[in-house]
Order: sequence, then structure tokens, then C-alpha cells
Amino acid sequence: VTCHEIDEFLASHSRESELPPAAAAHIAACERCRQLVRILDKSMEAPAPSESQLKQIQSALLRDLKPVRPLMRSRVFLFAFGLLFLGAVAIGSLLLGVSGWRALSTGQKIVVFTASAIGGISLALSLVRQMVPGSKHAIPPIQLPIAVSALLILVMAAVFQPRYESAFVSSGLTCLRIGMTYSIPTAFLLWLMLRRGAWLSPKLTGATAGVFAGLIGVTVLEVFCPNLNLYHILIWHLGVIALSALGGLLLGTAAQHIAASSGRRTFQPVSKSR
Amino acid sequence: MLAGIVQRRARQLRRIACAEGSTRGFLMPSGSGLPTSACPNLEQLMVRYQQADRTAATALIELLSPPLYRFFATQTGRRTDAEDMLQDVWLRIHRVRHTYRPGDPLLPWVYAIARRVRVDHFRKRHRIALHETEVDVLPESPAQLDKINNLPSFDELVAPLPESQREVLIMLKVNGLSIEEIARVTSSTTGAVKQKVHRAYERLRNSLQQAPTAELARKGVAP
Repeated sequence: VTCHEIDEFLASHSRESELPPAAAAHIAACERCRQLVRILDKSMEAPAPSESQLKQIQSALLRDLKPVRPLMRSRVFLFAFGLLFLGAVAIGSLLLGVSGWRALSTGQKIVVFTASAIGGISLALSLVRQMVPGSKHAIPPIQLPIAVSALLILVMAAVFQPRYESAFVSSGLTCLRIGMTYSIPTAFLLWLMLRRGAWLSPKLTGATAGVFAGLIGVTVLEVFCPNLNLYHILIWHLGVIALSALGGLLLGTAAQHIAASSGRRTFQPVSKSR
Repeated sequence: MLAGIVQRRARQLRRIACAEGSTRGFLMPSGSGLPTSACPNLEQLMVRYQQADRTAATALIELLSPPLYRFFATQTGRRTDAEDMLQDVWLRIHRVRHTYRPGDPLLPWVYAIARRVRVDHFRKRHRIALHETEVDVLPESPAQLDKINNLPSFDELVAPLPESQREVLIMLKVNGLSIEEIARVTSSTTGAVKQKVHRAYERLRNSLQQAPTAELARKGVAP
């Protein structure tokens, strides 16, 4: 047994007495590990809150104790997010047409829309999990919006080539406007669904919801826009994601500040009462 | 007076036993000397708290406050801060109790909220500190050494660790959470948590090697 393996044992057993014999033998022989175990066992000796404080907390909480309805099941939210995504894309296709879909080759269609689907599912799962504190995340939620954006950039760069375009800015601005026209209302609908749960880190949830809404805008554009110039797609299509994420981040930050400043206090802070 | 101390200690032990039993998702065994009805599963208590059961709310406060207090006290080192944060965490738990989904483990939910409270408290402190003139403050408790082994205290040793490593180590060793639960609390993966724990242990080992030497030097004795 090595010191590194002792770390594994210590992480999975709370006390020295629970360690397997081989680990205990190593600890008996190794001065560094012995000292570490001694210190870690001492960590259990910690102060406790006063009885009066516990009574104060109990009386404050019981004062306005009312029944609450728990959040709906994850699959209900997932279904709602999926419906929002597909609904927005369907409405976009009906109103704007499917020129972009026709312009894409089969390979491009598969790669682009598979990447959008993967990104959408991952973001929806992350949003649902962010609504419940202490949920299990396969990818840390702080990394996911960046990962999805990076995936889309890589995919677009891989399947499209730079082409000459005479009206780069004007046509690009049109696409950006259309993309935002779809991402802003969907972001609002997302907020309506998330508002009961998105309080742990509104900034992060705002940014994630922004990327999700932006992805909806990008998908609508990919179905509608026949312009296959790589730079047009990278700047004006994916720009929708960047703008939506920024908007979500700013709104989330504002929500966080508002919640902090208008936080109704039931107790007087201990540090002020002294 | 002695009877009072004994009663208080028994109450503390019962709370710890209940919390540890419930943490692992089982009720206290009948031979433990504790009535099982007095020690229900934390998750069940939380569901009853959502339904506005006053007894369940009181029991949850009694069971969860000591480990939460330890979580804050070990990280901040100040009793008043820990007491403030304990009140704040209960206020938030109360406000967002609807976000707990029946059937999910309760401790990751509670500690994720506690972690948020700690971060907010730290930011608030930092903002206030920017506008305050610093004055010398007496430490609340002197640095404690293990009398027999001449080792520094756990709090003293973990203080210089990077924030993320210290937090993970405290949840693991002070609060008794599992690696899986810590990964849920910190919204990271079990691999990332294990790596942080390993790095923290390595740093602690190195600090411990230096600690007795430094202590001897402080006392004016050549190592």
C-alpha cells in the first residue's frame, strides 16, 4: 500500500479504525501518513451552535410555515424545453421557409443538426438539474455553455468553407436580427419555466438559458439561410448564441443583485445583534 | 450541574447519531438506545417539512444545524460569521424548500445551499472590507497544538489550503459526506473531487512535516 492508496482509503472511510489491515499497517510504518490520520481524526472535534440560536431559528421558520408544492419532475421540464426548441424551429420554418435546409448537403445536414441536437439536449439537462441544488452533473454546468459553443464553432468550421460575399455586413445583420427574433421570445418562455428553481446561481442559469435560446435561433437560421459562407455562419449565425448568452448573463447578474438586496430577513444577524 | 452537562452531551450524541444514520439513508437500529421514531430519515422529514409539518421542521433544524455550523465554522474560523451563516442558510432553505424533490438525497441539496451562502457571505465581507479601515482584532481562540504530539490543529492546518481543496476536505472529514455527495454539492465530477482530496492530503502531509520543526524553532530550540 502506498501513500497515494492511503488517500483513497481515507477518502472512503471516515475513521482510522475503519481502515483495512493493509492500510492500517502502512499507517503504522509511515510517519507522514500517521500524522495525517491523527489530524484528520481531530477534525471531528468541532464546536456546535448554541441552544438559544437553534430556538431562534426554529421560531423564525415556524412563524410562516405553509405547505409548498415541490418542483415538477425533471422529465416534465425536459419535455417542455424540447417542445419549445422544436416548436420555435417549426414556426421559423413555416414563416421563413426552408431555403437553408435545401442548400445543405446530406453530410452537412447530419453534422450540423446532430451538433445542434446534442447541444440542445445537454443544455436542457443542465438547466433542469440547475433548478434542484445538489443535482448530479455529468459535465460541470459552468463548463457546458462554453463546451457547446466550442462544439458548434468546430462543427461549422469543419463543414463550411469561406466564400466570397458582396454584402457581408447587410446580409449578416439580417440573419442576426432574425436569429434574435427567435431567441428572445424563447428566452422569455424559458425564464417562465425556470423561475421557480433558478435561484442557486442565477448568473450561471441565465448564461446557460441564453446559450439554449441562442441555439434555437441558430437552428432556425440553419433551416432558413442559404448562405454557406463560413465567416457568415461563424459571425452572424453563432453571434446569436454569443449575444443571447451575454443577455442571459447580464439578466442573471441583475436578478442575483435584486434577490440579494431585497432579501427579506427573518432573523437579525448575530454579528449585528452583539 | 453535572446532570445538565451529561444531558446536553447525550442530546449532542443523539443528534450526531441521528444525522449520521440518516445520512446513510437508514433508520437507527433498535439496539442503539434511541427510539427509531425520534430519529426518522432526513428525506422523510424534508417531505413533511414541505407539507408544513412543524415537528419535522424542528427535527430538521436540530439534526442539521450542528454539521452545518461545523461546515461554516471550520471554513471561516469565526463563531459570529458561522452563526450568521447558519441563520442565513436556514432562511434560504425555508424559501427554496419547494426545490427539493422527494426521493432525492437531502444532504447534497442542503450543502449546495450552504455552499452558496458561504460564497455570498464571503463576497459581502469582501465588499465591506474594501470600505472599512482595518483595525487589529484579537483572535477568538489561540492557535491550538496537540499537547501530546505537538501537532497543529485541523483548522490551522487546512487554513492555508486553496479554497476548493479546503472546502472538499471539510465536507469529507468534518461533515462526513461521501465523494459522490460532494460531487453533487460542488456540481463537479467524482474524479475532480478525488483529485482535490488527494492534492489536499499531499499538502497536509508536507505542512505536517514542516510543522514540528517550525514549532521547535518558535520555542527557540534547535531542530
